[in-house]
Amino acid sequence: MKFTIDREEFVQGVQHVNRAISPRSTINVLTGIKIEADTDGLTLIGSDSDISIQSFIPVADEEKEYLQIEQPGSVVLQAKYFVDIVKKLPGDTIEIEVQEQFAATVRSGAVVFNLNGLDPEEYPRLPKLEEDQSFKIPQHLLKDMIRQTVFAVSSQETRPVLTGVNLEIEEGKMTFTATDSHRLAMRSAEVETDASLSLSNIVIPGKSLTELSRIMDDAEDLIEVVVTETQVLFKFDRLMFFSRLLDGKYPVTKNMVPTQTKTDVTLERNDLVQALERALLLSREAKNNVINVKTAGDALIEITSVSAEIGKVQENIEVASLNGEDLRISFNGKNILDALKVIDSDVISIQFTGAMSPFVVRPQDHDQMLHLFSPVRTY
Amino acid sequence: MANKASKKHPVLFHVDMNSFYASVELLYRPELRGKPVAIAGNPKERRGIVVTSSYEARAYGVKTTMPVWEARRKCPDLIIIPPNFDRYREMSQLMFAKLTEFTPLVEPVSIDEGYMDVTDEALTNDALNLANLVQQAVFGELGLPCSIGVAPNKFLAKMASDMEKPNGLTVLRKRDIQEKLWPLPLIEMHGVGAKTNERLNRAGLKTIGDLAEADALWLKAEFGIKGEKMYERAHGIDERQVDPEAAGDRKSVGRSTTLRENTNDDAELLRQLERLSELVAVRLKHHHLCSNNIQLMLRNRNHETMTRSQTSVNPKMEADDIFEAAKALFLKYYDGEDIRLVGVTALDVYSRDEAFHQLDLFRYAEEVAKAERKREE
Amino acid sequence: MNWNELLKRQPAAVRVLQGGLQKERLPHAYIFEGEAGVPKEAAARLLGQAFLCEERTTVHPCGECSDCRRVLSGSHPDLLTIEPEGASIKKGQVEMLQKEFTYKGMESAKKVYLIHEAHRMTASAGNSLLKFLEEPEGETLAILLTENLHFLLDTIVSRAQVVTFAPLPEDERAEELKEQGYTNGQAALLARIADRATVEAQEEPGAWIVQAKTVVVQLTEEVQKRPQQVLLTLQEKWLPHFQDRKEQQIGLDLLLYWYRDVLYTKLKRLSLAYPDEVERLHEEALHTSEEKVSRQLEAILDAKRQLAANVNSQLLMERLLLRLQEGF
Repeated sequence: MKFTIDREEFVQGVQHVNRAISPRSTINVLTGIKIEADTDGLTLIGSDSDISIQSFIPVADEEKEYLQIEQPGSVVLQAKYFVDIVKKLPGDTIEIEVQEQFAATVRSGAVVFNLNGLDPEEYPRLPKLEEDQSFKIPQHLLKDMIRQTVFAVSSQETRPVLTGVNLEIEEGKMTFTATDSHRLAMRSAEVETDASLSLSNIVIPGKSLTELSRIMDDAEDLIEVVVTETQVLFKFDRLMFFSRLLDGKYPVTKNMVPTQTKTDVTLERNDLVQALERALLLSREAKNNVINVKTAGDALIEITSVSAEIGKVQENIEVASLNGEDLRISFNGKNILDALKVIDSDVISIQFTGAMSPFVVRPQDHDQMLHLFSPVRTY
Repeated sequence: MANKASKKHPVLFHVDMNSFYASVELLYRPELRGKPVAIAGNPKERRGIVVTSSYEARAYGVKTTMPVWEARRKCPDLIIIPPNFDRYREMSQLMFAKLTEFTPLVEPVSIDEGYMDVTDEALTNDALNLANLVQQAVFGELGLPCSIGVAPNKFLAKMASDMEKPNGLTVLRKRDIQEKLWPLPLIEMHGVGAKTNERLNRAGLKTIGDLAEADALWLKAEFGIKGEKMYERAHGIDERQVDPEAAGDRKSVGRSTTLRENTNDDAELLRQLERLSELVAVRLKHHHLCSNNIQLMLRNRNHETMTRSQTSVNPKMEADDIFEAAKALFLKYYDGEDIRLVGVTALDVYSRDEAFHQLDLFRYAEEVAKAERKREE
Repeated sequence: MNWNELLKRQPAAVRVLQGGLQKERLPHAYIFEGEAGVPKEAAARLLGQAFLCEERTTVHPCGECSDCRRVLSGSHPDLLTIEPEGASIKKGQVEMLQKEFTYKGMESAKKVYLIHEAHRMTASAGNSLLKFLEEPEGETLAILLTENLHFLLDTIVSRAQVVTFAPLPEDERAEELKEQGYTNGQAALLARIADRATVEAQEEPGAWIVQAKTVVVQLTEEVQKRPQQVLLTLQEKWLPHFQDRKEQQIGLDLLLYWYRDVLYTKLKRLSLAYPDEVERLHEEALHTSEEKVSRQLEAILDAKRQLAANVNSQLLMERLLLRLQEGF
């Protein structure tokens, strides 16, 4: 293998794929970056086996020629050293040549590094893509959907499948669901796909989605998402992000959303956010974040929080509407606050079904999102 | 809690851990045993001061509150360890739990000292022998040395425990006062600080004996109630009772046990954990407490101690919930070595009145029904 | 290694595994049981290759494809190897195992877990494995290698198919023991002792076996040449060294192998248990008859039976030594 490449472009590609690499990987070859040159361009891959990032640098695009391939081939180079080396090279271009025994020579300007590479045949193969299980979604929307759900995944290992976000597609609508069994966040959106595509129980680790959103921006361009038997792939312009999927059955969540309500409240999102933040000042001290809510008249709810050591806070909020039975309920205020922060609507509605059963918080503006919470009970 | 045995001759112990922080550190780093060790604030900072030191270090003249540079000058080989207060708190809890195995009447005074009222226990067991058993249990099972003062009241017990360190066992009866207590300089009397000492000295009182023979009315006029108390104490009188609830802000409830023989038998260790969980649950119930943070402790045959804890969303108070957490920790962290001591502790305990149960979205109906059933019982 | 080579050494085990592959119906878990040195790992790698190889049409993995090659080199991401570090399988490895159980494979839905020295699994590792075996997801295969089935949790054993590997022939086992650091003389004897566990449980097994050998050789020499010494040596050397019944059985085994070696030497056969005592063996072989040796062997076998029946060991040994001297 021998090629010469634009340094800046190469450094960027290397840094992208390096995000996926863990120096503590149990498979030795995964501590390296795989570099593969063919006539179309250069492919870089980094992976910790949970996530894999592949970056492609074409020989040229409309603007510029990036790359001259003299001899196609591939090698794996130790990421730990290679990333630092390429960042510090002096020239505008870098030449990499691999000879016998994966011995790589990296030249730039007057500098020459000789690096011992690893056998690229040992490197894991990324899944072959069946394009029929794919759909397209604008980058900014996907980023929002991740932000609006991933906070609700479980951090406990007792039910591993809940550490992921469940992806489902039905009739052109994609739904993300996340729950730690105390709260649940659900967000859906129309996506571009074959109307016959139906996917369920595709559980993407929350950690992978968080890492994915770090490399995403608010662009309008469409991202292609491909689901394989064991992995999910997000295809960007020159970048591909793979994540392994979680094994196991995601619980059925659709029937958990109550269909009938006993008490309905509509109010300004911001009013509730601020009241909760004030109330949490005390319950945070008690470490339980418990907030009590009581209906208090026609258009008033009373929010209280008590700390045995510090004292009590009470606040009445005017609500836009209040219908149904009187109610007293206690819940974890921090969970509600987390959800309110990702709701993209100024007015929200809450449907309570009694003091000891779950309640739903939704944006007023659209029906693509809902949050479900369980109350707390005292001893 | 009232002293059940006011009619009997009271027998009190004052248990004082010997250089407690240093002793705890030696448990975690047994290779330092026999070496001069000091616990001091950040050793890299020249201005750190010695919090405590081992007896080996004291032999060189290293003293508490001495600046590190000075301690190093006195003892060039001094090994300085930064303090690790979580460890000390945790060992302190275990130490008091151990004392409670002898009598429920244990009153912690600080992290490393406390009083025990063993009046009832001493009826069937010679007091000195019992003190010896306590000392052996604390040293043999926790690896921590202590001095114990045996006396009819708190003041004398405290004075007695100071008389021999480390590993002292000192009996101070009322009839010993003249001989053992009165010759001591006033500054060594519990309750007499530097300022009071100076004022007493200026009045010509140098020893505890001088105080005992001073004019009681003058003392009262000069020092108020405190003067009265000092006079009484100098005569060996102290009416204060041992009150287990005095410490008040109970932070944890723990139980530990030393195994009859070291073992790596999972089933046996789990059985012990289950038993300890039950004991912790009983104690929690007695005090109307619960905890969201359960800790497992394992000590191997080299006295190396491992503690791991697990927090939960919902409070734990029942034996099976506590055992479930302890078991999960055990299964996650136990690596098969020979174990000599196991412990289960409910950390950061709080009143059940302040406890909340976060219902589960998948199982809330069941949970509510179960709670209802329990309430009806 | 391939199945054909392995078949020669472990025909029974290989037939079981090939049967599973032929029917394309492998259990979720295998336990390979067999002493150190039997090709359990080679068999496990072959099975792993066969399981993951996409080119395979018969029971034989192709050995050439990327899957096959990476299974051998240990870099296949969907074949996880768990090995004890020191005395037991440590926490880091257990955590990896627990995490892997919750993820799907990287390259395909197939995953293989290869667990070395499974008897050293901690409670934690055993528990995770058990949870997984109770509800295995997808196409997974766990292969547990162990020298001793009895140290595994019953609940694990009952959920797996046990494949027993035949013990090594004596000479091969001696070679294996030499690799573990025993000398030629130690290895030759140790390889022939059925109850090796008792020897290996000694503080210094090597030194113990050397001392045992010295006692046996001295005793046989005295039986032959200095009969008046025999009971003294029994009192002072034999009984103190072979203390409990298990050790006494080993002592009798060693005695048995001595007279067998005498017989082999007479018959000019190879494969001796006392290869470094050839001179003494020759000398004794010259002065005895086949008939006498076979009576001596019979006497020792009788003694072994009596020992198993709890006859007092001193009495039994005194009687035996008398029979050995007289040859009846």
